[in-house]
Amino acid sequence: MKVTICIGSACHLKGSREIIKEIQDLVAKNGLGDKVDLNGAFCSGNCVNGVCVTVDGELFSVQPETAKDFFEKEIMGRL
Amino acid sequence: MVTNDATILHIKHQVLYEVAKMTWEGKLEEERDELPYKMIPGPQAQFRCCIYKEREIIKQRVRLAEGQCPVGKDSVNVVQVINAACEECPIASYTVTDNCRKCMGKACQNSCNFGAITMGDTRAYIDPGKCRECGKCAQACPYSAIAHLERPCKKVCPVDAITYDEYGICKIDEKKCIQCGACIHSCPFGAIGTKTFMVDLIRLILAGKKVVAMVAPATEGQFGPDITMASWKTALKKTGFADMVEVGLGGDLTAAAEAEEWAEAYKAGKKMTTSCCPAFVNMIKQHYPSLLENMSTTVSPMCGVSRWLKQQDPETITVFIGPCIAKKSESLDLNITGNADYVLTYGEIRAMMKAKGVELEPEENSYQESSVFGKRFGNGGGVTSAVVQCFKEMGEDINPEVMKCSGGAECKKALLLLKAGKLPADFIEGMVCVGGCVGGPSKHKTELEAKKARDTLIGQADSRNVHENLKKVGADQVPMHRH
Repeated sequence: MKVTICIGSACHLKGSREIIKEIQDLVAKNGLGDKVDLNGAFCSGNCVNGVCVTVDGELFSVQPETAKDFFEKEIMGRL
Repeated sequence: MVTNDATILHIKHQVLYEVAKMTWEGKLEEERDELPYKMIPGPQAQFRCCIYKEREIIKQRVRLAEGQCPVGKDSVNVVQVINAACEECPIASYTVTDNCRKCMGKACQNSCNFGAITMGDTRAYIDPGKCRECGKCAQACPYSAIAHLERPCKKVCPVDAITYDEYGICKIDEKKCIQCGACIHSCPFGAIGTKTFMVDLIRLILAGKKVVAMVAPATEGQFGPDITMASWKTALKKTGFADMVEVGLGGDLTAAAEAEEWAEAYKAGKKMTTSCCPAFVNMIKQHYPSLLENMSTTVSPMCGVSRWLKQQDPETITVFIGPCIAKKSESLDLNITGNADYVLTYGEIRAMMKAKGVELEPEENSYQESSVFGKRFGNGGGVTSAVVQCFKEMGEDINPEVMKCSGGAECKKALLLLKAGKLPADFIEGMVCVGGCVGGPSKHKTELEAKKARDTLIGQADSRNVHENLKKVGADQVPMHRH
């Protein structure tokens, strides 16, 4: 599964680093290193709501507070 | 540096400079669309068929400078084709030139195993549909009348990632591309470039974030014997960076960790490769995945320094500055934790500086945060020397044989040998740029041109050893493994 997280300045200021850290920790904790490929992405221009995250191409808007729920639903939920 | 791309470099740098300036001034949104008209006022075209094409090329370069794909759908690659700038070089690779005398011997025709050569009115003709590009005709011709026309971009690509679409425009096969950037400066029309993080970084600096620069070991000597690491530190601070660290320190970190790994592998009779060159890592991942288990799990010097900085302050945003393009792809690999957040090339950082009125100025060579071995990491063979030095410091009596590969072709050959179980050496040091990082695609001067200044500057450093240096700067507790 390919997950991308925007690292552009707009998303950075909305907390993309916190989200990356959270998802990295959760991937490690759940031993999913072989199944989940985490990538940074340049700005895709969808900076309206939260941080732009894609899972196998599907776009989501995530906040640092919702990162854990997002991981459980959209990443764990799809594996 | 004498190259055939001085004009292109001028244009590229002007775009970077203008984009940086607009971003520093907070005017990028309102003025971005004006730039093509400012740079190409017309009415006469200077380089291309018309000013409209020239302006389109500028527009695509601006998009790259902003970190976007030049056109259309976003794709993952850092290295991108500026399709408006691609001149659709001929694809037929063997072509008969005016030198042909249609001689009686017809060695060309006789040597062709595919029946691709016929005699035209004035010269021989090669049917591109039949030609298998074996080159025998060109070797056979007594007048050297058959030219091998290969697209310069395709010729330099070490992994055959360059193809073309139905209109002859260059295309990069992203599954094959290892982002080494060799194609970028090979193109005589400047039609390949890379996305930059410049705009994002300027905005983060303007937002008051703590951004720390990490300058590549290849840097010393690139800008003459008077531009020291202290010069960089001063200039970067003036530009808005909170601080600067030399990544030579990361060379020390990587060497120390890799020495432990290599010592263990050597005793177990296991062959290993280095993992500090990101294009080499990409080459293994994408082209020789079965060799991943032989690749060192030590992180790169860039990642080591970034982790060290984040250990001290997790809020730090780390930026690598160097001659490397592939580092951009390494920073985007979030499977590695704590790595550099962003990467800039020399051209990009200098555009950012210039747009703020900052220049690199001569300063006493007083700042040293790395051993000479770490500083030499950017030279071909440098990694091996540093690891061997660490063996000595650890009291390990090991003298391994290392195949030092400089350039994509050598790396490929060594990996093929390893895959076939025929590698004569114990280890592979893989550097995809010829000469090591000092030969990187975004270098300011060639290895040879910079050598004297580099030797002078590194010669002024004291002779501290690797482990001693790590203790001295407090970097001996940095986790140095991938996961």
